[in-house]
Amino acid sequence: MNKTIIININGIVFHIEEDAYDVLKLYMTDVKRHFSTSADSLEITTDIENRIAEMFNETLANQNKQVIVEADVKLIVEQMGTVEDFEFAENDAKASGAGAYTYNTERRRLFRDPDDHLVSGVAAGIANYFDIQAVWIRLAFALSFAFAGSGFILYIILWIVIPKAVSRADRMAMKGEKQDLKGFKKSFEEEMSSVKENLSNFRHEAKPFVYKARDFVGDFFDHLGVFLRGAGGLLIKLLGLVILLTCFGLAIALIVSLVALVGFGKTDIYHIFPFNIVNRDTNMIFLTGGFLLLAIPLLTIILLTIGFLFKNATFNRSIGTTLLCIWLASLGAVIYYGVRATADFREGAKLSKTIMIKPSANNTYYLQLNDTKYLTNEDSTRLRIKERFNGMVILDDDFNGNDMDSPDRVTIDVEKSDVPQPVLIESFTARGRNDEDALINARNISYRFLQKDSVLKFNRHLERLAGSLWRGQELHMTLKVPLNSKLIIDGKLDRNMNFNLYDCLQNNNPKNPAGSVFIMTPDGLQCKIDTIPATKVDTLNNKLPADTAKTPVQ
Amino acid sequence: MIVENTQTQMRKGILEYCILSIIAKGETYASDIIAELKKAQLLVVEGTLYPLLTRLKNNGLLTYNWVESISGPPRKYYVLSDEGKTVLEQLDKTWQELVYAVQTAIGDRK
Repeated sequence: MNKTIIININGIVFHIEEDAYDVLKLYMTDVKRHFSTSADSLEITTDIENRIAEMFNETLANQNKQVIVEADVKLIVEQMGTVEDFEFAENDAKASGAGAYTYNTERRRLFRDPDDHLVSGVAAGIANYFDIQAVWIRLAFALSFAFAGSGFILYIILWIVIPKAVSRADRMAMKGEKQDLKGFKKSFEEEMSSVKENLSNFRHEAKPFVYKARDFVGDFFDHLGVFLRGAGGLLIKLLGLVILLTCFGLAIALIVSLVALVGFGKTDIYHIFPFNIVNRDTNMIFLTGGFLLLAIPLLTIILLTIGFLFKNATFNRSIGTTLLCIWLASLGAVIYYGVRATADFREGAKLSKTIMIKPSANNTYYLQLNDTKYLTNEDSTRLRIKERFNGMVILDDDFNGNDMDSPDRVTIDVEKSDVPQPVLIESFTARGRNDEDALINARNISYRFLQKDSVLKFNRHLERLAGSLWRGQELHMTLKVPLNSKLIIDGKLDRNMNFNLYDCLQNNNPKNPAGSVFIMTPDGLQCKIDTIPATKVDTLNNKLPADTAKTPVQ
Repeated sequence: MIVENTQTQMRKGILEYCILSIIAKGETYASDIIAELKKAQLLVVEGTLYPLLTRLKNNGLLTYNWVESISGPPRKYYVLSDEGKTVLEQLDKTWQELVYAVQTAIGDRK
């Protein structure tokens, strides 16, 4: 019993035994390569193929059988003649045609040497071509690897471009051995048997680049496999171990952070961005989904690596399918809730409120940070303020001070007022699913501003009503003061002011302990730089020589 | 070796002439040419014929017609072109001269 292969010769289908196919394939490879230098190579090889097809048909009809066997192919090859026969005939033709020209059979051709290869036989092939020892070429390649891997790229290109010496004719051409008819007749049978050991090499023939690339990839993994079975095995195991340990580390970090978030989340994470966007239930889904999204690939890598390292199949198809399903489900959940959360930010709304400020007598206003913590009635009841913190002031600990943790931003600008009456314009902005939602969100912002005589107290953050979620709430305040008003701004408000307080504090002379001193000029608010102290300095300087004169240097 | 070489050279020289002569008899299929050449012991293997035919065709001495075949792919049947006929006539003449020359040379030896 033999395996048969179905082949197609120019549109005609034949059943051919595997052995016979190998012989035929080798023969056609040789024929094609032989004529590849000729301009009519396609026509000639097609003629030959057609004739072979015809002879196959005749053989099958005469012997009343269905499958072509090795003997048939050999008979046909004999009749058609081997490449060596062609070469012999052509050499004579050339010799007779060109007179003095004699075909140099000792000319070498560049092939990859499959008999003496370390990786793919490129180095040995080049060495054969120049008739030197392969070790020098290998050394040259090894050295050139050091130059930004240029040798590596060159090697890969050569690997793709240089054909592998498949047939005996190739090998002889590669080594520049003299090819004559006798040598070939003897070697043909030899080749047939040796060829069977190298069946996989038959694909390496002059073919379009796609096939070459495919062959190259096959070849590459073939060699990689050989490499891995040998010295590379240890290296790969080490690599696997590193991957395994890394993945374990990441998994532990992931679990710790999940536990931390969930445990911590009971109290506080819902004030922290991005967990303040959605409600608790959604947050739990988000956390779980996100955890699975990261954990499943890690688990997969760990299982695969363990399976590879210890050669036991811990990872079978059903586990894989289950994990994939869970992963896809969590991906779906995260995307769904993510999109839904984003939808809550679709529309924006803005509300504006004007607060009249009682003008102070000397036209001076102190802007200060109100750092007492804002407590709602509920908070007061819950914390039992009256009993436990009687007589104390609970301060805003400023823990949520940075914008990332608490994006409920409050900004303050100062402008010139056209009327003597100073005003504070508060404009609240918020986002929501639709206009109405956004308006309600903006209205639900509460902010505490206090005036105590000439002291204006601002809170650092705005307050959301209990249970309302973060929807990009912002408050922008514009303080309008009349011309020549003096503003003394507390340094603690620095974060909320739209201009720099610190530089002004440096310029103020003398420095005001209550903060930076500004003055409203016709051009807008400007830092107050006193001219009087400057003249004082001048007079001081003028007096200085007199002083030193009175008290001479000791 | 020298003998072999000379023999082949002699055969080669007349091979194209013989091929043209065979085709001159009418539309001919490659394997018919082979059969005749084998009979004349001029050619051993078929494969060598195809490059020759292609070359002759490319030189304009031959043309071919496709003929459907029951036993395989369509066959190429070769015929001489007008140029081929002229060339053949010239070769005929040359051959006669060669025959005369050789016979004269051999005749002395007898």
